Amino acid sequence: MAGYCVEATDLTKNYGKVVAVDHVSFKVRIGEIFGFLGPNGAGKTTTIKMLTTLLRPTGGSASVLGFDVVSEGGRVRPHIGVVQQEPSYETSLSVEANLDLYGFLWDVPRKERREKIELLLDKFGLRDVRKTDPPELSMGQRRRLQVAREFMHDCQLMFLDEPTTGLDPQARRITLDFVREKVESGTTVFFTTHIMEEAEYICDRIAIINNGKILALDTIDNIKREFGGVSVIHLRVADGKEGLNQKLEKLSGVERIVYPPQKDEPLKVYAKDADAVLSQIIDIITSSGLHVEELRIKEPSLDDVFIQMTSSKGEQSK
Amino acid sequence: MNSFFRLVYRDLKAGIWSTKSMIAMQLVTPLFYIFVAGFAYSAVISKMTIGGRTVSYVLYLAPGIIVMQIMFAAIIAGAMLWIDKRLAMFAQILMGPFSRWQYILSKVVSIMLQGMLNASLVFLIASPILVGLSVSPLGLAYIVGSLVLGSLFFGSLTLAISVFIKSNESFNAMLNILFTPLMFLSSVYYPLQNAPLAIRAVSLANPLTYAADMLRAGLLGVYVPYLFLEVIVLAVESSAVFVVATIAFRRVKT
Repeated sequence: MAGYCVEATDLTKNYGKVVAVDHVSFKVRIGEIFGFLGPNGAGKTTTIKMLTTLLRPTGGSASVLGFDVVSEGGRVRPHIGVVQQEPSYETSLSVEANLDLYGFLWDVPRKERREKIELLLDKFGLRDVRKTDPPELSMGQRRRLQVAREFMHDCQLMFLDEPTTGLDPQARRITLDFVREKVESGTTVFFTTHIMEEAEYICDRIAIINNGKILALDTIDNIKREFGGVSVIHLRVADGKEGLNQKLEKLSGVERIVYPPQKDEPLKVYAKDADAVLSQIIDIITSSGLHVEELRIKEPSLDDVFIQMTSSKGEQSK
Repeated sequence: MNSFFRLVYRDLKAGIWSTKSMIAMQLVTPLFYIFVAGFAYSAVISKMTIGGRTVSYVLYLAPGIIVMQIMFAAIIAGAMLWIDKRLAMFAQILMGPFSRWQYILSKVVSIMLQGMLNASLVFLIASPILVGLSVSPLGLAYIVGSLVLGSLFFGSLTLAISVFIKSNESFNAMLNILFTPLMFLSSVYYPLQNAPLAIRAVSLANPLTYAADMLRAGLLGVYVPYLFLEVIVLAVESSAVFVVATIAFRRVKT
């Protein structure tokens, strides 16, 4: 194991001709929060399913806590916790009974279960609904129950597959802070998300995965640096911008253009030499007589890096 | 506590015992079968002869109704696997300290326990008409054997079905299509010796026939010569369906 609790080498999963995970290799250090970032369908959940022994890899190998996930799955599972992306709970039992039964399944002694239930009901804001059955809860409450439940037992490695889906910002922050607390007390976390703010808030290192392949793996700062010093020019003009897009696309030194999904959001021009591109943009605007509402150079955010890396060359980009 | 027993406890707590309306229905239905239909038909069919012993129709019917309880318990347990799959609890459990073998065995044992419990409750309900019967140790062995093997058969059957079913509607439809003929093409409601040949032929492949015959024999103390053969057929059928269910279970996607 030597400092790592997950080691994947050329891990691959095919479904017929579809390659869901394509020769990915990575290591997760003991005691870190490792972010596994990717758009929907990138291969995040499939990777988790292989690491948690639920799916047999088509190729490559992986060990979790020093045990091979295929030949020693039975030795892996007692030491891990998993919050799945899919909703999962006992529909016929109250919040409190769900927590208690899950603790029982993990052989947590009764007294410890009682203490943990009280703690988790408070931490996850479920005290008022402790006697309520899941079908009567809001989506966010059900999600909180599912996340809280996994903390009923202690584990060395926790897999969290988009745990904050459906949570409001406050509940999201509480959840992330609680995860951070658990890490400080010795748990390692494998965390998938496609919300970059979350990754920046909580992850020590990240891997960006798309179409089953890992595109980058490092600390967030290093990945931003490795992005090649590409800056982003934000441009927003008032009406009368016909023909502007074609002119921008012809500019030299432009890496990529992302058109805004909303009318009042800026268009983003990615360029290594942002100053040179900016002066060309000013020339176009001046000659076209456009009224500029926003024009500025920004350092790339993790969002920018993520979009740049994972977007296919499609309608919205150059 | 052993992982396997923790899973059985979970089945009973979260699955079977939590569906209170279902339990009530399981107890009310036999009440109607025995005390309403049983006595109403007794007015038409005054006496029946089994293995040389003459009994009332309601006494003939009661053992069959008791055996049917294990079939109903099996339906609920089969639905539990279906619900576990739908709500990702199946995957959640398999990512915990449990194996697939423990999962399927826990389901079968839960079905057996529930079947036994249901059957015992119906015994209690039917006790006014059973007064005066004395059950020998051999009779008790037949009764327990009937319930265990019947549970194994119907539990495995519903588990195997729930592996392949992809919607609630098709699960319910499949159970109706399968279990309704099983009930009527058996010796639960009537003796088969005078039934049309086609019905008799199908009934002889029906494990419910053998489970009902075994329980009836044990309860009434009527041991027909071919009874032991019936035990063997039921044991073989139950084991075969259990093997099919475990093989099918390996295909369950998570």
